[in-house]
Amino acid sequence: MSGLLVACSPQQLPSGLVYCSEGNPESFNPQLVTSGTTIDATSHQIYSRLIDYDTQSGKLVPALATSWAMSDDGLSYRFTLRENVQFQHSSRFIPSRYFNADDVLFSFNRIIDAQHPYHFVSRTGYPFFQSIGFSEQVKKIEKINEHEVVLYLNRKDASFLSNLATDFAIILSDEYAQQQLALGQPENVDHFAIGTGPFTLVQYAKNEYIRYRRNPDYWGEPANVEMLVFDITLKSTTRLAKLITGDCSVSALPKAGELAVIKQHEELNIESQPGLNVAFWAFNTQKPPLNDVRVRRALAYAVDKQDILRAVYQNTAIEATGVLPPASWAYENNKRIDDYNPQKARDLLKEAGVANLSIDIWAMPVARAYNPNTMKTAELIQSDLANIGVKVNIISYDWSVFTQRLSRDEYDSVLIGWNADNSDPDNFFTPILSCSAMQSNNNRSRWCNPEFDALLDSAREIADQAERKVIYQQAEAFLADQVPLLSFAHAKRVILTRHDISNMQVTPFGGISFARTSQVHSEAN
Amino acid sequence: MQPVKVYQEDRIASPAKRVWITFSANPFALAGLWSISLLLLLTLFGPMIAPFAPETQDPRALLLPPSWDPSGTVTHFLGTDDLGRDIFSRLLYGAHLTFGMALLIVITALIIGFIIGSLSGMMRGLKSSILAHLLDSLLSIPSLLMAILVVAVMGPGLENVFWAVGIALTPQFVRSIHHSVHEELQKEYVTAARLDGANSLQVFWYVIMPNVWEVVIIQTTLAISAAILDIAALGFLNLGAQAPSPEWGAMVAQGMDNLLTAPWAVTIPGLAILFSVLAINLVGDGLRSALAPIRN
Amino acid sequence: MFAYLLRRLNLFLATSLVMIGVLFYATGLFPVERTYALTGIHAPTTSQLIQIEQDYKLDKHSGWQFIAYLQQRLSGNLGISVTSHQQVAEELRSVLPASFELATMAAIIAICLGVPIGVLASQSQHKLTQNTIMAITLTGYSVPVFWLGLYLSLWFGVDLGWLPISGQINLLYEIKPITGFMLVDTLLSKSEYGMSAFKDALLHIILPAMTLAVLPFTVVVRSTRSAMMNVMDQTYIRAAEARGMHTSTIILRHALPNALIPVLKHLGLMLGSFASYAIVVEMIFSWPGVGSWLVSGIYQRDYTVIQGGILAVALLIIFLSILIEVLHTVFNPLSRKDLYATR
Repeated sequence: MSGLLVACSPQQLPSGLVYCSEGNPESFNPQLVTSGTTIDATSHQIYSRLIDYDTQSGKLVPALATSWAMSDDGLSYRFTLRENVQFQHSSRFIPSRYFNADDVLFSFNRIIDAQHPYHFVSRTGYPFFQSIGFSEQVKKIEKINEHEVVLYLNRKDASFLSNLATDFAIILSDEYAQQQLALGQPENVDHFAIGTGPFTLVQYAKNEYIRYRRNPDYWGEPANVEMLVFDITLKSTTRLAKLITGDCSVSALPKAGELAVIKQHEELNIESQPGLNVAFWAFNTQKPPLNDVRVRRALAYAVDKQDILRAVYQNTAIEATGVLPPASWAYENNKRIDDYNPQKARDLLKEAGVANLSIDIWAMPVARAYNPNTMKTAELIQSDLANIGVKVNIISYDWSVFTQRLSRDEYDSVLIGWNADNSDPDNFFTPILSCSAMQSNNNRSRWCNPEFDALLDSAREIADQAERKVIYQQAEAFLADQVPLLSFAHAKRVILTRHDISNMQVTPFGGISFARTSQVHSEAN
Repeated sequence: MQPVKVYQEDRIASPAKRVWITFSANPFALAGLWSISLLLLLTLFGPMIAPFAPETQDPRALLLPPSWDPSGTVTHFLGTDDLGRDIFSRLLYGAHLTFGMALLIVITALIIGFIIGSLSGMMRGLKSSILAHLLDSLLSIPSLLMAILVVAVMGPGLENVFWAVGIALTPQFVRSIHHSVHEELQKEYVTAARLDGANSLQVFWYVIMPNVWEVVIIQTTLAISAAILDIAALGFLNLGAQAPSPEWGAMVAQGMDNLLTAPWAVTIPGLAILFSVLAINLVGDGLRSALAPIRN
Repeated sequence: MFAYLLRRLNLFLATSLVMIGVLFYATGLFPVERTYALTGIHAPTTSQLIQIEQDYKLDKHSGWQFIAYLQQRLSGNLGISVTSHQQVAEELRSVLPASFELATMAAIIAICLGVPIGVLASQSQHKLTQNTIMAITLTGYSVPVFWLGLYLSLWFGVDLGWLPISGQINLLYEIKPITGFMLVDTLLSKSEYGMSAFKDALLHIILPAMTLAVLPFTVVVRSTRSAMMNVMDQTYIRAAEARGMHTSTIILRHALPNALIPVLKHLGLMLGSFASYAIVVEMIFSWPGVGSWLVSGIYQRDYTVIQGGILAVALLIIFLSILIEVLHTVFNPLSRKDLYATR
């Protein structure tokens, strides 16, 4: 009889939230990567930073640092650290002390000091930090006392604090690192993450899920949900289907065409925000014939961006006229009238003396906020280029293989994009188009122009927004002339939720955060 | 002129004719045969009737439903996919890839299998037994696993599907031919022929082969349907034909992105696969039951 | 009988050896360095390199290398996965039970539905019933499984909202793997949610198991039907009929047990394609088993995973098909006749 009662009672679910994510993280340390999937899975869940962005106002707010001050010459920053902050517990590590200055020193010295025992534990380097020239910029980090550190810079930089507030600049535990080093397993620090964030990493099953539990010792307001699960679901149709059947409560990166389906389901909500991102087609400017600017211009003229916006984004995105999106304060509409001009493209190719051109386009295998379907984009470009007599081979691998092979720079061109990590316009130039970005393989165009770099440097040394905007517009013009990449869209950031989810914040930049999300438990299920 | 009938009895029809009579008495098998003929014609001449090229994109006609739907148009008879490509045309070109490729693979596998199988079947003793074991183990690898191994070595692509499916199918031919040749070889009529002074080649061709053809035919129909399903499955898993290709399995995979909004982009190529495999299985079934009285 | 078993064991060993040989040959063909293909260690350090060379006898000629390879693989060293840095053997152990669970479920469905329908088809006097059943099985035999799976999940999952379409269980249930079989583990788990977790797991397995069951179902129906028709013609059945026994008794007691023997044989022959189907079904329903593990291994060019997966699945199929053959012989006194025949 009781068995019958159990069978008839409504299905009980443990309290928690399932998020359908789009792929496997490459690591559990965001310092080591630039991929959005890894950032989503780690940065705001497991870790905290010294300072944070307020998602509403875009202002910097205290996190692990309660206050900070810049010296008058702009060359040093003093941070006062929060006290009584606990690191997370795990089966491998039980912290014996609170968070202090040593942890900050470890987290940053690991990146800037090539002698540091942990520096080469990362096989992938520190791509974001390398791309902004962090090691050259920071002279040293000094511990004043347990709760005060000072960062000394080599040159002034208006975007420095913004960079510290990005998802990459997380704080690791020095004690955990020393312990694992003594055990001879330093790489564990990046796999079995320990941080000070709202959730503790419990288990990661490749291709299946990542499980987190609420961190009871979190320094901020504790998370609303007890358990957080990232359900790794590669196909966007499956993600949507799981959302409809209730296997997930939150899902990311829908294909544009699916929004119509979602609107038919009352129990689903669409949360969207114009994103600080740009989707582009990067040309490998080191490889002939794409080292010839005329060829690059020709290819740019041959692509009909409107087609892409219609077919791939179903008119939900904004056409890109440069790399900066309209949501950035340095944006200006630079639309040219003859954007799409196959005749001009053919003439340019003839002028460059290129005939029977055949190029590879590498298309990302995963959906990203800036481009929900890169394969489709590639197929569109393929047919556009066929019009001007250029043959295109589309190449795609699984994401991990894709990034690996991409860093070997054998490619002709790649369809990729950039999601801003902070609201500073510099974030759209230095990390993806500077010479230092080329060394860290984040510069997919492999384009290094000292003149352009000098322009960016000068913009960083000024504090005044209006003056900086002028320089960034010069940079845009420079790019429009040299065409190391062809940008085509700024997409919206869209997150789908079931109706019982509230407080799902969609930020224009950076990774997803579940710290404030809450779930109203409904009995009907 | 008809030979004069001396006796009252009917003439005994030749075996092939008897098979045909039984076969054609089965309406399903006959329907299958007609469908296969149609498919063959489409494979050969499909590209000529196709109204569009398979890769032609029409940005003004994205995800159009088939023409019988109120919002469909006649220009795109079976609708379009999410890049505005005409599904009907892609289907016709795809017949060339999926069905044509399956035939090509099976013919190649058949020839190789026939040579190896009949040679080994005529052998006796240890060599034959080793070969039988080798074939058993190759057969135990599911075709998809074999294909995965080939793709791991050669990378994905339609040409590699040829090798993958071919390598997976050949052992089946070798084994069934080896088996039946071997079995026939034990029989007394073969010994009789040998005693008559026939050499091995004569024994093989004039004595054994007529009794092996049936096995070959049945195995071939089985292999064609298996090949179509394998090619399509590989295309679907994105290990075979790659994205813009109108191979039917790959078309299903490409349509999957819009499964919820435009199910016809998945339904139609899927039905095409079902239709062709069904036709072949109908013919195979019909052949098997028509051949059954002769084999027993 | 003993000699027969010995010969089957011999066959199993020989076949497995050939299988491993094929894989060994393939490691040389993978478009990466040999050491990497063998161990999964990317850019090994000098000491690791020496260790690898020693383990796999890379300085000796290929005969020795094969023996070393055999030694490593049989001792359970399948290398490490490039993407997860875990032991492949370990990963294999965690994905195998899920596949078994799915396959068993599908087999149960196929046999429980297939045998009665096959008997029905053989006994029915109605042309219509017979033809309908044959049409259904032929269609089931011809339908591309990935397409069928997609449609079932579209109908039952998205349109009707009856069944979940992906994964093994709602991930909020945290079930400790004890046996690895989700249905068993949920029952064993001591958490207060054990029962509802079991129900959830049961709901999750329905669609993939049904999809996978289609192939064995058609095979069972068709072979049961033809075997039953064969058996019913036998003289001992006629004799039973003549004695006035009830038809159902005749079928259940006398005909069916004998008819099931050839069904067993057909099931054994189907194993290979069944495994292929299982791989596709696992992919469609994101079932965390060997199939989806193997396919994502190939997407990620994880060569050790590919080898480990193929090895495991192939050995399993070799083993099962020999097992079925042995069972077939045990149950079928007639086939023991040619136990000692020189084949």
